[in-house]
Amino acid sequence: MTSGNRIARVAGWAALLVGFCIPLRLSGNPPGDSGAAVRVPSDVAWTRDTIKLASSGDPFRGMLLARRCEHCHGAEGFSAEAFVPNLAGIDRLSIWKQLQDFRSGKRISAVMQPITTPLSAQDFADVSAYFSMLPTFADPQDNRSFPQAAPDPSKLRVAQKLISFGDGQRGIPPCQACHGPVGYVKGAPALTTQNARYLLTQLQRFTDGTRTNDINVAMRTIARQLTAEEQGALAEYYGAGRAQNPPRSTPGP
Amino acid sequence: MRQKLGFAVSIALVGCVILATRFYEVDLPVWRFFGGGQGIDPASLHVTGEFVESNLGTAREPDGSYTVRMLALQYVFVPQCVLVPSGVPVRFRVTSADNVHLLNISGTDFNVKAVPGTVSDVTTEFPKAGEFEAPCREFCGAGHFAMRAKVEVVPEDQFAGMQADQRRSCD
Repeated sequence: MTSGNRIARVAGWAALLVGFCIPLRLSGNPPGDSGAAVRVPSDVAWTRDTIKLASSGDPFRGMLLARRCEHCHGAEGFSAEAFVPNLAGIDRLSIWKQLQDFRSGKRISAVMQPITTPLSAQDFADVSAYFSMLPTFADPQDNRSFPQAAPDPSKLRVAQKLISFGDGQRGIPPCQACHGPVGYVKGAPALTTQNARYLLTQLQRFTDGTRTNDINVAMRTIARQLTAEEQGALAEYYGAGRAQNPPRSTPGP
Repeated sequence: MRQKLGFAVSIALVGCVILATRFYEVDLPVWRFFGGGQGIDPASLHVTGEFVESNLGTAREPDGSYTVRMLALQYVFVPQCVLVPSGVPVRFRVTSADNVHLLNISGTDFNVKAVPGTVSDVTTEFPKAGEFEAPCREFCGAGHFAMRAKVEVVPEDQFAGMQADQRRSCD
């Protein structure tokens, strides 16, 4: 073995060793520790364990628990009042997340907070499992709130464009990319059978910052870009049942 | 003998290249494997760490330098309108909450990939004030085509008197 050989090899291993010992400047100096108050929008994070817990509900037990939801949300998951959300066929992860946020106070509701306080995360999973399995077609005997009156044609076009294409100039992604049926994002509920009044209220709350439980500021960023007319058009379009049937994260029965 | 020498020299070269990445702050999987890097959980960005929503935007560090923390997710950049000073180095720290995105500031040579679990750290400088479009340039899903941020470059004196715990954007 020549000396050059040995020197090169020693140099190589030395370089590697030294490399492992030098911490990255990035990790050695964690930036952003300014002592400012940290605002957490929601305690729910879609980690593997959370998804497992939220989607492992027992729908039969949920059906019994859902007796206490009936009065407002309807026996078949369609509420009688247009300002109360329909829950039939809504994805179970989205319902579970909202229930968690109601209980932790991240989403403020004087009605839902006392109802959710005595329940556990497993109860939420059961109730969500039950509601996610209810059929989404409107039954005229029971589903009194849905569908609502159709929007006028000019609003129809505005809503259709936003739902399927969004507005790239303003950075508004299409609704259907996250809320279905084209794409699906965890925690984003289907909107195709939702009540118009409820949708409009939530869009307005995201805009003025009274509802702040969306993870990573996603809905607040988007809702802020929409004009009041566009928000109204979208709510009416969905409230009239114009959009297609949504996909689900977990198959129903 | 020559073959052995060549082999040893190549080991040395590879070692030096890996060492160099340490100084240029390249987040190689090697470093993360040995605990030196910064793996972060893309699912809990909003709960802990550097990318909680109250820490996003432009910050002025105690030493007077500027750092922009940005989040790319399906299908928006947060903050969607970034406010940066002109004529001084600006450090961008970008990560993704779901899959790979690419922030490209049109009209400049700024291109940074947002990879889940990794923080992309790039320092750049905007010579003069102006407004730039910053679309996503890596296909990220159904809403990719409407995913777009805006970068507003303003004179540095607009940041005068900014506290270290303040975060600014033009959202």
